[in-house]
Amino acid sequence: MMRHRWRKFVNALMFGITALCALASVCVLFWILGYLVWNGGRALDLDFFTQLPKPPGETGGGMANAVIGSGQIILVAALIGVPIGFLGGVYLAEFGSGTVPFLIRYTADLLNGVPSIVIGIFAYTLVVVPAKHFSAFAGGVALSIILIPTTLRTTEQFLRAVPQTLREGALALGASKWQAVATVVVPAAIRGVSTGIILGIARIAGETAPLLFTSFSNRYWGTSLNQPTASLPVMIFTYAISPYADWHRQAWAAALLLLAAMLLLNIAARLALSRGSYQRT
Amino acid sequence: MGTLSRSTTPDPPSVHPGTNAPERVLPKLKISHLNFFYGAYQALHDVELEISANRITALIGPSGCGKSTFLRVLNRMYETVRNARVAGEVLLDGENALALDVAVLRRRVGMVFQKPNPFPKSIFDNVAYGLRVNGTRGTVLREAVEHSLKRAALWDEVKDQLHQSAYALSGGQQQRLCIARALAVNPEVLLLDEPSSALDPIATAKIEELLFHLKANCTIVIVTHNMQQAARIADETGFFLLGRLIEFDRTAVIFKNPAKKETEDYITGRFG
Repeated sequence: MMRHRWRKFVNALMFGITALCALASVCVLFWILGYLVWNGGRALDLDFFTQLPKPPGETGGGMANAVIGSGQIILVAALIGVPIGFLGGVYLAEFGSGTVPFLIRYTADLLNGVPSIVIGIFAYTLVVVPAKHFSAFAGGVALSIILIPTTLRTTEQFLRAVPQTLREGALALGASKWQAVATVVVPAAIRGVSTGIILGIARIAGETAPLLFTSFSNRYWGTSLNQPTASLPVMIFTYAISPYADWHRQAWAAALLLLAAMLLLNIAARLALSRGSYQRT
Repeated sequence: MGTLSRSTTPDPPSVHPGTNAPERVLPKLKISHLNFFYGAYQALHDVELEISANRITALIGPSGCGKSTFLRVLNRMYETVRNARVAGEVLLDGENALALDVAVLRRRVGMVFQKPNPFPKSIFDNVAYGLRVNGTRGTVLREAVEHSLKRAALWDEVKDQLHQSAYALSGGQQQRLCIARALAVNPEVLLLDEPSSALDPIATAKIEELLFHLKANCTIVIVTHNMQQAARIADETGFFLLGRLIEFDRTAVIFKNPAKKETEDYITGRFG
């Protein structure tokens, strides 16, 4: 009887501890979110989206240029990173076997672990130094280097999850390997692949360090991709370490906007995946 | 295992099949000295076989005996396996099948797999697939899809839901859809690798009946674990054991009066 009660006690205790830890990890997100809404919610007004930053010391103004700038930089990164990562992933999953693909896979995993500030310095050397100025394009290049390995590996994984029998079915009808991949395998995996890409983009949207060296910042509207360009993460950094209370307020607002955008992207990705990932028969 | 003699003396092949339904027809597929290797492992040993046109040929034998491997040589599906190697001769209407362009060969020699494997597309797009990769479009395509679904005895069941997902169909319907998909490119030979092993008896009966009708226009080679199935539908049956073709003859002979002891042991259930 004693042992039975002891066992029940340990059972309840362990359940309690594990549940508490699970709750704690979720709480962190809600804590951050709540803090951002509390501090940034009031600052997130129409001006924030329509006005340029005011000179230091003046109150008011917004970050319209940084919202657009972030969009530009992410677009450049996606245009470079998604095709390379996706097609590379197709190669690894469908055509690659042997030493070379093994090395590519291994290198991609290593690249995925490189600190983003190092990637920033690399893009600085590659693009900014020859051009002799910062630019949105350089920022896009830096972020694309972060996007490529994640896109590559998720594409490969989702393509590999497509059953071999579907490939055989297509080949048996006289399709070439490439036709089978393009018309059967990729469509069967496309939701999973796009989820991976969306999550990759959500990740680079918040990167700050690589942009400090590449797109830098700008107090005015950027007129081309060839100019220094403001972005939300860099603005948060600049405004948060400034001595002005009004800039702190705006930094909170920018952080709230960035987090909300990332959450939306994540939810969109989950929805895309749940609504018809490849079903086995 | 040398060349296998048939218990009936073959008549001279008729030059005009169809003019006077000949007793023996030209071999659609002639396989000689076929050896097959997965790396260092030899899966088929010196197989000799003639498959008659417009007949159903069944291949039986215990698991791992090489019958599925043999089937995959006929449309060269083995090429998807690394280190697979074939030696010997496969003649399709006298042409060297191992040297043909592989896409052309697979259009002439279609295949249906063990588990129904419809593509995650609509019913229509499944059947149209083989034609589309060949560049067929428009009205011709629509008519061919309808014709193929009719040949596969599926048209009446799906004609109102052609643009719904193929996954909405039952297992038996999916397998007939895969047969329709294979028929759409109008193959001369249809290979079936245990096509009804995943199906219930009613769905199986439908497939068997269908094959019976199809042989008028198509040469059928079916691998089956189910000896009753071979006995029911096949004109000729081959028995494989450990990578060798032990015996090949008219189905009635194989099941009632086999020449080899191994065949008799297998048929009577003493092993396998």
